[in-house]
Amino acid sequence: MAALLEVQDIHTFIGQFHILQGVSLEVPEGSITALLGRNGAGKTTTLKSILGLTPPREGKVIFLGEEIGGRRAYEIAAMGIGYVPEYRAIFTGLTVEENLRIAERRKGDLKRKADFIFTLFPDLKRLYRLPGGQLSGGQQQMLAIARALVPDNRLLLIDEPSEGLAPILIQELMGAIRRLSAEVTVLLVDQNFQMTSRLADRYFMIEDGRTVRSGAMADLLNEPDVIRRYLGAVI
Amino acid sequence: MKRYRAFTAFILIVGALVALGYGLFGPQKATAALLSGLTLASLYFLLGAGLSLIFGLMDVLNFAHGVLFMVGAYVGYTVFGNPRLILNTAPLFLALAVGIIAGSRLAPLIPNRRFIPYLLALAGVGVTLWGIRGFPLRPLVAFEPTTAGGAIPTALAQEPLSRMLLRLGQLALAGLLLGPVAARWGREDRRAAPWRSLALGVGLTLLAVLLLLGRDPLERFLLGLSVDVRFFLALVAGAATGAALGALIETTLIRPFYGRPITQIVLTLGLMFAGAELVKFIWGKEGRPPMAVPSLFAQSCRSPNLLAWLTERCSSIDVLGRAFPTYRLFIIAVGLLILVGVALLLKYSRLGMIVRAGVQDSAMVEALGINVRRVFMAVFALGSALAALGGVVAAPFVGVYPEMGSIFQLQAFIAVVIGGMGSYTGTAVGALVLGLARALGDTLVTTGIALPGMAQALRASPAVARASTVLMMAVVLLVRPAGIFGRKE
Repeated sequence: MAALLEVQDIHTFIGQFHILQGVSLEVPEGSITALLGRNGAGKTTTLKSILGLTPPREGKVIFLGEEIGGRRAYEIAAMGIGYVPEYRAIFTGLTVEENLRIAERRKGDLKRKADFIFTLFPDLKRLYRLPGGQLSGGQQQMLAIARALVPDNRLLLIDEPSEGLAPILIQELMGAIRRLSAEVTVLLVDQNFQMTSRLADRYFMIEDGRTVRSGAMADLLNEPDVIRRYLGAVI
Repeated sequence: MKRYRAFTAFILIVGALVALGYGLFGPQKATAALLSGLTLASLYFLLGAGLSLIFGLMDVLNFAHGVLFMVGAYVGYTVFGNPRLILNTAPLFLALAVGIIAGSRLAPLIPNRRFIPYLLALAGVGVTLWGIRGFPLRPLVAFEPTTAGGAIPTALAQEPLSRMLLRLGQLALAGLLLGPVAARWGREDRRAAPWRSLALGVGLTLLAVLLLLGRDPLERFLLGLSVDVRFFLALVAGAATGAALGALIETTLIRPFYGRPITQIVLTLGLMFAGAELVKFIWGKEGRPPMAVPSLFAQSCRSPNLLAWLTERCSSIDVLGRAFPTYRLFIIAVGLLILVGVALLLKYSRLGMIVRAGVQDSAMVEALGINVRRVFMAVFALGSALAALGGVVAAPFVGVYPEMGSIFQLQAFIAVVIGGMGSYTGTAVGALVLGLARALGDTLVTTGIALPGMAQALRASPAVARASTVLMMAVVLLVRPAGIFGRKE
């Protein structure tokens, strides 16, 4: 498998703070890759650095074989990266339809993808004309993911999708992510290890802004000590 | 629910103002005050709409907005009455722009040392001064504006063509030297499509030369046009100048300082003062009387009603036995037209959708693959164009004078604060409330309040009229600290 995205030893500062101190990872095409780590380890900053929202000061980010470090976020996104930020940053003043339509990069994107999106998230069809602000937390999360599926993205960066969702919704969400991963590669960040461990094929673990381990998810599941030490999770 | 409460507050405030007017002054004067209030509200709105959009989307408090209003008024006035000044100065600006475009393209050729572009720019400023040295600005400006058409007296004020062409060359050279610094500012936007800047450069050069060579016939042509056409040209030229200036200000002065609000406030405040001084430098310290109005509002008579006015074209119209100037109805109509037009743009266009989304979270909009900076520039240019248009529309109402920018800007800021910063509906509502308050204050000053049992009406000092708007703001903010339609911060 060729790597769709390659991050090589990036260092990112936010203000005076040296948040990422050497993160490296590879996302193979057609897989779900999980980015693991405790709160504050630098997972969200890694995603933002890939997208250029917090540009890394050192290191390389290579997407589709091109070095994209230093480009503006909109240029990077337009190359085919969809971003589903934490706290489901949908536009509350826009209707569901507008939230989807704003993500179009070419005319007709939404029309082409509508069937796929409504199969994954049938609720959205019913809520189509409602303002995003009137949706429940779970519906907003679905909308945020759907929005990233509107243009022809090659890679989705999904940040904490299960946060604040009821267990039954998490089940639904997992199903949706698994199904969409047949179409698009996913780099997934989530505190819910139960969920990520079942979805992801591979993982990268970061601690204090550095990549400390990586490998196949199946192997990690055989190492409860490691999981406890780095994630504080018990399986 | 929140919106419902905001609308209730709005209806209550406007209802209270109108009731107060009718109770104090009776229907005749109150209706006149209401119409005057709408006229003012329209102007406040034209200024406030841009302020509010720019603040909502970019978190920039643009204290230079009044300057754009004023520049629009002056440019419109000049296009209308003294096109010779425009025809003799516009080619110089165009030459400078062509030079800058070429210079920014040539920037990669100069040695990559930090200080070299700045040294060149310094030289560029020198060459600019050399290029405009001795330009007969004073005599060009001094001509009485001709509102009735016909030739402008004195041919001496224009420099001979050869001298002007030399100036064009000098300013193009100056632009060439300034280019590398300009390239630093807009680096990432200049990466694409060299043929576009080539086409732009050639087009602007042609335009400059054509304007210059054809300045005499063009002037005769412009002055030969009817007042109506020239008025329309003034509107277009004013708004276009506003848009261009707005885009220039955003790219050069605002863009490098996003996320540094204090710097931006100090910068735009500085622009406010510098702009007023520049206007004084070009057009003189004294203001000009109100510009002539289009023929639809020009006959000196009083029409009994709106229908009669359309055929009689009187300058005033009968409202409950009092004369009301018809041009002010035009100001109200322009305000309404822009209110509806921009609302439709925001609601149904892709740009409007992006703006509404960007007001909430511009980083997320960028993460979707949308060039937010270009949207910022477009909105800044649009807001500036609206302000400049407001200036041109105001010119036949209040004339033009160097303080008009800061005076109207203050009122527009109050309107935006009353309505709720960043809310478009709020700005319209704020402008309306403010216009009505000011008109009531004015009526209070001119007629006073007749209390029963008193021989003379109680008259207020003119300061009361000016204070009325600030008082209104204080009252509204006490009840709704974020403004009528404001979001809680």
